Amino acid sequence: MNYVIAGYCFVLGILFLYGVQLVWRRRRLTRLVSRVEASPPAAPAEPGAG
Amino acid sequence: MSHRTTLAVRAIGIGAVVSLAATVWLGLWVTPPDQVQRNLVRLVYVHPPVAWVALYLAFGIACVSSVLWLWRRTRSAFFDRLAASSMEVGTVFTALTLVTGSIWGRPTWGVWWAWDARLTSTALLLVLQLGYLTLRRIPGDFDSRARRSSIAALVAAVDVPIVHFSVQWWRTLHQGATVLNADLSPTIHGSMAWTLLLSFVALTLVFVWMLLVRYRIGALQDYLGSGELDVAIRERRAEGTVPAEVGR
Repeated sequence: MNYVIAGYCFVLGILFLYGVQLVWRRRRLTRLVSRVEASPPAAPAEPGAG
Repeated sequence: MSHRTTLAVRAIGIGAVVSLAATVWLGLWVTPPDQVQRNLVRLVYVHPPVAWVALYLAFGIACVSSVLWLWRRTRSAFFDRLAASSMEVGTVFTALTLVTGSIWGRPTWGVWWAWDARLTSTALLLVLQLGYLTLRRIPGDFDSRARRSSIAALVAAVDVPIVHFSVQWWRTLHQGATVLNADLSPTIHGSMAWTLLLSFVALTLVFVWMLLVRYRIGALQDYLGSGELDVAIRERRAEGTVPAEVGR
């Protein structure tokens, strides 16, 4: 029965970790996109500056 | 992503968790042990469904999407992203297939690994999938990346029938097909058959949920990496500046 438990734990554990990693990646990218889209326009450079 | 799509993804995710929990409960506590394999037979509710997803579902979607991308009339970023997403999720399932097979093989055959036709061809499949994912990471424009990935997926697909028929073509340690056998008459009955069926549904739902989330990640990555984002920002800025100028 130990092999059976090991098999179930391995499959469920890996699927859980991969699922969490997918959700984390999606959230990070969604946040990044919304932050970039909502960023205020850059101030226009003053003539003669730089 | 629309509200309806978000709800659908969430519903599939909940369905996957519930069906997976039911499979574990039925597989470990309700179904009887086998006459020959005793409790080891409980691995049948994990190993074949994971292999079904890896070999047929994930690879099938990746190959069909690759063909549709290569065909000019149906070419779109959707198919490239779908193929890449399916291949990535499928790689996880192929690795799980090999590990669960190894866990089952140790008490049954006495070894963790044997250079058997079924095992070797499945290991080759994992290598080909990792090769595909590596190929996608090579820098290049969208079209060339999609083209080389699609061709790689089709080359890798040659191994799928080899894996499937390996138990018929060669003398192997691995047993023949229980469900998808030549006579199409499953050699499993009663509560074991129903639990096996449920496990196939559960793992399929898990795969679909992962595929949808991974597709969304691919779409966001493409959006961030392409000029679409710059266009959207310019549009937003333009929308914001017009009323301010009018009000002056």
